[in-house]
Amino acid sequence: MIAGLLMAAGGVAAGVFGSLLGLGGGVLIVPLLTLGFGLPLREAVGVSLVSVIVTSSAAAGVYLERHVANLRLGMTLELFTAIGALAGGLVAFALPERVLAGLFALLLAYTAAVMLRRSLPRPSRSATAASVDRGPVDPDLAADGALEAGSGTDVLDPDAGPSSSPHVPGSRPEVGFVATLGGSTYRVHRFSFGIVGSVFAGVVSALLGVGGGIVKVPLMNIAMGVPLRVATATSNLMIGITASASAIVYFLRGGIDPYVAAPTAIGVFLGAAAGSRLAHRVDVRVLRALFIVVLAYTAWQMASRALA
Amino acid sequence: MSPFVRDPAASDGDRTPDPAATGRAPDPVTPGATERSLDRTIGRVLQWGIAASMALLGAGVLLMIAGRVDPLGPPPPPFDPAALPRGLVTLEPEAYLWLGLVATIATPSLRVLVSLVGFGRAGDRRMVLVSAGILAVIVASVAVASMVA
Repeated sequence: MIAGLLMAAGGVAAGVFGSLLGLGGGVLIVPLLTLGFGLPLREAVGVSLVSVIVTSSAAAGVYLERHVANLRLGMTLELFTAIGALAGGLVAFALPERVLAGLFALLLAYTAAVMLRRSLPRPSRSATAASVDRGPVDPDLAADGALEAGSGTDVLDPDAGPSSSPHVPGSRPEVGFVATLGGSTYRVHRFSFGIVGSVFAGVVSALLGVGGGIVKVPLMNIAMGVPLRVATATSNLMIGITASASAIVYFLRGGIDPYVAAPTAIGVFLGAAAGSRLAHRVDVRVLRALFIVVLAYTAWQMASRALA
Repeated sequence: MSPFVRDPAASDGDRTPDPAATGRAPDPVTPGATERSLDRTIGRVLQWGIAASMALLGAGVLLMIAGRVDPLGPPPPPFDPAALPRGLVTLEPEAYLWLGLVATIATPSLRVLVSLVGFGRAGDRRMVLVSAGILAVIVASVAVASMVA
């Protein structure tokens, strides 16, 4: 049973760090279970999807009650993420584990690169940078939902940052049904980008056991003109169905071990809630720098597994 | 106001007039009372769903500890819905764990089902179609995975 307690403790750590750094749980849980406990990668992905559903649903519930998430936009896009997740869930069982490990190494390396880029001072982005230092609002990293459970109040305070629609060069607001998906201060642009990107995010989520927020948030914010905090909250809402569509495939194919999934998911849930409370008391700059090193090392380990 | 009552301001479900019909660009959309109420209802569904899931999984983990079950030991018995009621009564950890996992995975779908009903009562036909489409993908996931398994 010691292994179960260690899994729960690892889940707590993943939840805390994920919430402080604005990362989703999947990026941390899959390496924890594969490299730390020797689980097959595909089984770790299934367990990670369960944890992602838990944390993102808890966060989305808060966001919806505060009317920050855009329900209509999120549901319309999640139709396409769910399709991608179903396809990705089926493909995941056809791919060799070495390929999955290679893809995960790329994801880790990309995440480390994004965190490194965000660590560099950029005066013109002061408002956003301030939010990033508080944790979960990093436009590139926020979103998998892991932490935002409980911290939605602070992160998504209407007075805490930019709320108007970002400028989307070279595009016009959509009309017709898509026009009804916007908000009171913004309109949706490039909906076709949203469809393609959502399918891609679903495939990534299903293959690698992550929420896919790393794709959805920039997609909605930069390409579709949705304000950052709305994009982050809406991404959280979408992650539940995205992960659920692929988790069903893993579950029914025996790819989720309840002995592993339960302690890990509970640990991540508790850790994410605790991390959101710590976010204002911890200077995450040092933590982030340390974590970039950890991510790079983990990416190397995954790449080695892929090439072995 | 009930979350599912029809919003007088959106009786036909389209909050924005058709630009082709009006000859002008649509106004930015402001969520109506019905939609805000639906947001709250769905938010509660998600929070209660995850609370129930955590309670079941937590009970299963406590029973695992009591039974000295090693997560890295022999695999659990396969998921068998018919065996769940008896397992719950006899306090078998696997029954609570499987039910907790099902509750976790089903919570987002329950949220979509509630949305479908809410949009339906508000007369928002397009969002009803979107909700039904999402549920169709979920059903397809179950069907395809069952066939492949």
